[in-house]
Amino acid sequence: MSLENMKSYHSSLQQALDDEFLRKTLDKFAVQFKANRQTIFADVNEKELIAEIAEAKDESLDHLDELYEQFCQHAAKKGIIVHRAATAKDACDLVCQIANENKVKTVIKSKSMTAEEIHINHALEKNGQEVCETDLGEWIIQLRHEGPSHMVMPAIHLSRYQVADTFTDETNEKQDSDISLLVKVARRQLRSKFAEADMGISGANFAVAENGTIAICTNEGNGRLTTTLPRVHVAICGIDKLVPSLHDALRVIKVLPRNATAQAITTYVSWITGAVDCQADVPERRKIFHIVFLDNGRSQIVKDRKCRESLRCVRCGACANVCPVYRLVGGHQMGYVYIGAIGLILTYFFHGHDRARVLAENCIGCEACKDVCAAGIDLPAIIQEIRARLNEEFGSPMVPALMGRVLASRKLFHTLLKFAKFAQKPVQSGQYIRHLPDIFIHGQGFRALPAIADKAFRDIWPAIKPQEKPGGVKVGLFAGCAQDFLYPGHLTAAVKVLSKLGADIKFPDDQSCCGLPVQMMGQRKYAMETAKANVLAFKNAGVDHIVTLCGSCASHMKNRYPDILADQNMDDDVKAFSDKIIDFSSFLVDVLKVKPEAFKNGGEKVGYHYPCHLVRGLSVVQEPKVLLKAAGDYQQSPEEDVCCGFGGTYSLKFPEISATLLENKLNNVEATGATYLVTDCPGCYMQLNGGEQKRGGKLKVEHMAEFLARHMID
Amino acid sequence: MPNINAAAVDLFTAKAKPVTIEVSTVNTLEEAMKFALEVCEKKTLGKSLLPGTASPDAPRKKTLAAPALDEQSWSFLADGGTKKDFEMVRGGLRNYLGGIDVTFSVADMGIADTATSVIECEKEDVRLSTMICEIHVVALAKSKIVSSSYEAESYLLTALAKDRNYTAFISGPSRTADIERVLTLGVHGPLELYLVLLEQ
Repeated sequence: MSLENMKSYHSSLQQALDDEFLRKTLDKFAVQFKANRQTIFADVNEKELIAEIAEAKDESLDHLDELYEQFCQHAAKKGIIVHRAATAKDACDLVCQIANENKVKTVIKSKSMTAEEIHINHALEKNGQEVCETDLGEWIIQLRHEGPSHMVMPAIHLSRYQVADTFTDETNEKQDSDISLLVKVARRQLRSKFAEADMGISGANFAVAENGTIAICTNEGNGRLTTTLPRVHVAICGIDKLVPSLHDALRVIKVLPRNATAQAITTYVSWITGAVDCQADVPERRKIFHIVFLDNGRSQIVKDRKCRESLRCVRCGACANVCPVYRLVGGHQMGYVYIGAIGLILTYFFHGHDRARVLAENCIGCEACKDVCAAGIDLPAIIQEIRARLNEEFGSPMVPALMGRVLASRKLFHTLLKFAKFAQKPVQSGQYIRHLPDIFIHGQGFRALPAIADKAFRDIWPAIKPQEKPGGVKVGLFAGCAQDFLYPGHLTAAVKVLSKLGADIKFPDDQSCCGLPVQMMGQRKYAMETAKANVLAFKNAGVDHIVTLCGSCASHMKNRYPDILADQNMDDDVKAFSDKIIDFSSFLVDVLKVKPEAFKNGGEKVGYHYPCHLVRGLSVVQEPKVLLKAAGDYQQSPEEDVCCGFGGTYSLKFPEISATLLENKLNNVEATGATYLVTDCPGCYMQLNGGEQKRGGKLKVEHMAEFLARHMID
Repeated sequence: MPNINAAAVDLFTAKAKPVTIEVSTVNTLEEAMKFALEVCEKKTLGKSLLPGTASPDAPRKKTLAAPALDEQSWSFLADGGTKKDFEMVRGGLRNYLGGIDVTFSVADMGIADTATSVIECEKEDVRLSTMICEIHVVALAKSKIVSSSYEAESYLLTALAKDRNYTAFISGPSRTADIERVLTLGVHGPLELYLVLLEQ
């Protein structure tokens, strides 16, 4: 992996994209995981359990020192030797010291991300010990001198043929590529390692304070052998793994395996307390049992209001399983030790801001990770926070900084757009920008880019403003920058639909961009200024609802404004504003109660793309389908809720990934035979329409408002 | 006659199948032991995983281990095994790290919604026996099956309050999907798990 700079990172990304085996494997995995996860969660209340875990974890984080003390008291009575290491180096030194004191020559390990975090293998090998991983995946990558590419399936990037070659080298015997035979090779080779080892290192999924017990979840059973055969057992455990009670651990076990591998439970859960029976050559036939609790910055993260949620993580790896970017490029490009969304975050905290700088950019912000997180962590929000901190530490890249300043100033923004409208003339062709030199749109050839509209919506509005409807539902229209200046047609269509359905529409002129683009770029100050401007713009508009045609604007204004404006002494105004925010489709179905009779249904075959922030940010699922079924012949396509690859500025920063996501999306919809593709977001529209234009496909892309406006009965 | 939660027993049976646990039902512990002897008889002799400690190709007997059984039960099982010319193992499992053919265990509790056998195994021999066998036969009284792990909580709390305890939740044979995500059984531990439900 190349995390030194963006150029080498792009080169690694391209290599990963070109790796056919990886692409095929992760594609299959992504589709199967979602289906299997849904099945395995069918018999539990997922949301309720996750909320309980989040609450309990937060409570534990508030009392880590007390939990540690309580654990130590029980452990001391039971003959467990407990250590606390402030840093990764301290932890490594401690483990090496334990090894030396016990004259340890050989070490076996069961899987532990915390041990990976501190690079214990390297420290022990330097100290003279021989270390062998015993989790099959970990052993494979150890033999290949590679890092894990997934937290639960570390060797998912490798084919059976590569494993066969690796085992051939290890055993000096030609090995067949049959997977069951390869597993037998590991069984045979590793059994002797178990038999010979002096020390076993494990992690711990939980450290239960009320009785000084650790619990380890494994499927292979290597954890049980690691903690049984060697005379010394060292468990390395983050202090965040402390839980007050057994009940807390049992609760997490109801979600962790379901989220990790779509299993109701791992094959083995081992509950270990005290110096248990050990028939190796040890005094009193009792295991020498050490636990090293690792801090490594965790105590500081607990105090970090915006990031402390990250310590709720139970290491299930689901944030990678559902990440559309992970699916394309794999774990070696999506983390350093920890992989996936949590990997982007923990790399920042544990493995250096330099490495995190590159990684933190590679989040498309689709919120798929947040949607499945076993502990309800708002991972995308923490990634955005980290971007902001990295910008403050290293200085903002030029483009985001300028963009932030422009978007925050409505007048400057509008003036510049008007200027750009004339400046684009030489390269404009109808609704699209064409013939731009590559230096301006590097890598953007996969889609046609829109030209700035001749007339912005705000300039069209006075002419199309419907008459006031005193008895109608009072609704404010939030335009958002993309629709105001690129796609005013979406808004005029919405005005037609809303007006026809009897709504009383207002358009406050002082509104600005919602601020999400600058927030995504880590431009904290400008994100706050735009948010404030919008709250004030709608404060006295006299509306009961604020409708947006963009899922991202809606989700950002509804979910993020309260936090962004927390220090501005305007909580009541912000709450009033956020409570009124609703997306276009939901407004029609849930507030205006639109009936199918409002539309003439000509049976046009129409597919739908769920904007990420609509389906996950606002949990809107049914409403768009209700509308499409009313006005057309809705065709369901596979993976409707997977990101189209836009992600705001993400598509400019990582065009190679954006283009691939887009291609998958369009292929899926075209395969249904749909002639129209509808969505509820101008960003997605830009991506889908631009992509379809570029590849000369037959799909006509429309915003929901346009599709409905065409089918309204006059 | 202890109470049996019939719904929990049904749930256990239903949940066992997808995690490749073969469930059967008998009346008594003795019948369960006979079942284990039959399983051992039918299986082919396992090969030692530790060439060098004993010759892997030397003729040896099938081994059947049951270190946690009480005297009376052990005596019954050992008699049956000896008649079938098995090597019967009750202790010193470290001498058998190359592998044993069958282990017979009695679960302390069953958790239905995950098809879990709860086995207390503070004694190293018990722990090892459940890991180094090729086939694990677990007897579980129907009366000891609870619906979910929360109902096993008080049992576990008592166990873990002891000075030393190692309790295992076992919910299937040892499994991995680390190569190309293909599910493969028996990577380190048993390749097969038979669960024998006891009416009594």
